Amino acid sequence: MKEQADIRGSGTLWVFMQKIFRLLKAHYHKPLLVIALLALWQLGVMLFQVKEYIIPSPLSVLARIFVPEMAAKYHWLKHIYATFVEIFFGFAITAFLGVFLAILISWSRFLRGIITPLLTFFNSIPKIAMAPLFILWFGYGIIPNILIAFLIAFFPVVINTVTGLNAVEEELLELVRYMNARKWQVFLKIRLPNSLPYIFSGLKISTTLCVVGAIVGEFIASTKGLGFLLKDSQAAIDTPPMFAGLLLISVLGLGLFGIISLCSRALMPWQKAE
Amino acid sequence: MKRFVDSLKTHYQTPLTILSFFLCWQAAVMMFGVREFILPAPLTAIFRLLIPQPAANYHWLVHIKATLIEVFLSFAVTAVVGIFIAILISWSKRIRDLLLPFFVFVNSLPIIAVAPIFLLWMGYGIATNVLIAFLVSFFPIVINTATGLGEVEEDLLDLVRYLKASQWQIFVKIRFPNALPYIFSGLKISSTMCVVGAIVGEFLASDKGLGYIIINSQFSLDTPAIFAALIVVSLIGFMLFGLVSLAESLLMPWFDPGKEKM
Repeated sequence: MKEQADIRGSGTLWVFMQKIFRLLKAHYHKPLLVIALLALWQLGVMLFQVKEYIIPSPLSVLARIFVPEMAAKYHWLKHIYATFVEIFFGFAITAFLGVFLAILISWSRFLRGIITPLLTFFNSIPKIAMAPLFILWFGYGIIPNILIAFLIAFFPVVINTVTGLNAVEEELLELVRYMNARKWQVFLKIRLPNSLPYIFSGLKISTTLCVVGAIVGEFIASTKGLGFLLKDSQAAIDTPPMFAGLLLISVLGLGLFGIISLCSRALMPWQKAE
Repeated sequence: MKRFVDSLKTHYQTPLTILSFFLCWQAAVMMFGVREFILPAPLTAIFRLLIPQPAANYHWLVHIKATLIEVFLSFAVTAVVGIFIAILISWSKRIRDLLLPFFVFVNSLPIIAVAPIFLLWMGYGIATNVLIAFLVSFFPIVINTATGLGEVEEDLLDLVRYLKASQWQIFVKIRFPNALPYIFSGLKISSTMCVVGAIVGEFLASDKGLGYIIINSQFSLDTPAIFAALIVVSLIGFMLFGLVSLAESLLMPWFDPGKEKM
C-alpha cells in the first residue's frame, strides 16, 4: 500500500504510466493484427507442409537468429555490425552535408542559381544505378557502401531543408528587417527554427533510403553485411536466414527512424506527433 | 507560341547550368588527362553508345529493349493494381483506417531487400525484375490514391447524401476526381521507383538489360559503357515521368502543379 502511495506521490511517473496506458488503449489493435498475421502464416506453413526453402515459418526464421546452435553458422553479429556502420555513417554524412549545402544555397543567391538546377537534375535520375561506379572506384568494402547510401539519401534532405529555410512568412521578415536584424540573426532566430519540421521530414525519408543504399551496395559486391548474407543465402537456397536478414534490416531501419522521430520531438516540443 | 517563349525565358537557366556542368566535366577530363576507366568524358560515353565498338559489342538495342519492357510493364501493373487496391480498401472507411497505416508502415521499410527472395522463387529473367519493380513502386500509389479518396470535404458529401446520391455516384462524381491529383503524384513517385526496381533486379541476376551492362562493365573496367548505360537509364526514367505528366495535364487541365509558384 505504501508503495502505491509513493507512485501516486511522485506525479511524473504516474502521468507517464497513464500516458503509456492510453497509448496502448488507442493502438492495441495494430500489434494484435501483426501477431494474428504471423500466427496465420505459421499455421498455414504447418498445415500445408510448405517446404522450408520455399516459405519458412516465422518460428523457424526466428530460430535462425535466436537459437545459438542454428545461429552460429551465419555470424549475425559480424553482418549486423557491417550494415549498421554503413547505415550510420551514410546517414550522418547525409544529414551534415545535406543541411550544410542547403544553408549555403539559401544563404547566397549566386550559389542557389548554380546548385539548384544541378540538384533537381541529379535528383531525378535513378542514382542507385550509379552504385557499381563507386565499387569500381573504391573497391568493395564498407566505404563504397557508405557513399552509395549517402548518394541516394542526400537529395531529399537538401531539397527539404532549402524549402524550409525559404518558407518564411514575408511579414515576419519585414518586421525584423525594420528592427535592423542582421542576416545571421534572421537566419538563426527565424529561418532555422522555421525549417526544422522540413529538415526532419527530409531526414525521415533519408533513413529508409540510407538502408536501401547500404543493402544494394552489399548486393552488388561485398563480403559482409546483411545484404551479403541475403545474396549468399539465395545462392545456397537457404531461405530462413533470408527472412531473418529481412527482419534485421527492417529493425535497423525502424531503429534509425525511431531515433530521428525522438530527436524531432525533443527539438520541437510544440509540434504534434502524428 | 508566346507562352512557349515566355516559359523558355523563365526556365533558360536550368538547362544552361546543366549544360555548362557537362562542358566543365568534358574540359576537365581533357585538360588533366584523366584516364578513361576512372572518369570518362561525357562525349566518350555518348560515343560508346552510338559508334559500334570493335573490341566489345554491347548489343545496346537488346539491353535497352529488356529494361524498357521491365520498366513499362511493371509501371502498368503497378498503376492498375495499385489504384484498384486503393479503391477496394477505401470502399469502407473502417477497412481503410485499419489497412492504410499498415501500408504506410510497409512503405517505410527497405522493400528492395526482398529482391533476392524473389530471385530464389522465380529464377532470373524479365518476369522477376518486373515483380521486383512492382513491389518497390506499389505502395506509394496505394497510399496516395487512398489518401486522395478519403480527403473529400464533409460538406460536399453531406450535400449529395441529402440529394440521395448512391455510393457509386459519390465515388464516380466526387471521390475519384478529387483523388486524381493524389493519384498522379503517386504515379510520378512510382515511375522513378520502377526504374530503380528493374535496375536493381538486373544487378542481382540477369543476362540482359542496362543493369546487366553496368555490372558487366564494372567487372571489365569499361567505365564509358557504365556512363552510357546511365544516360539511357536516365532517359527511360525521364520518358516515363514525362508521359505521366502529359497524361496529368490532359486528364486534369484545371490542375497545374507549377502555376502557384509563378
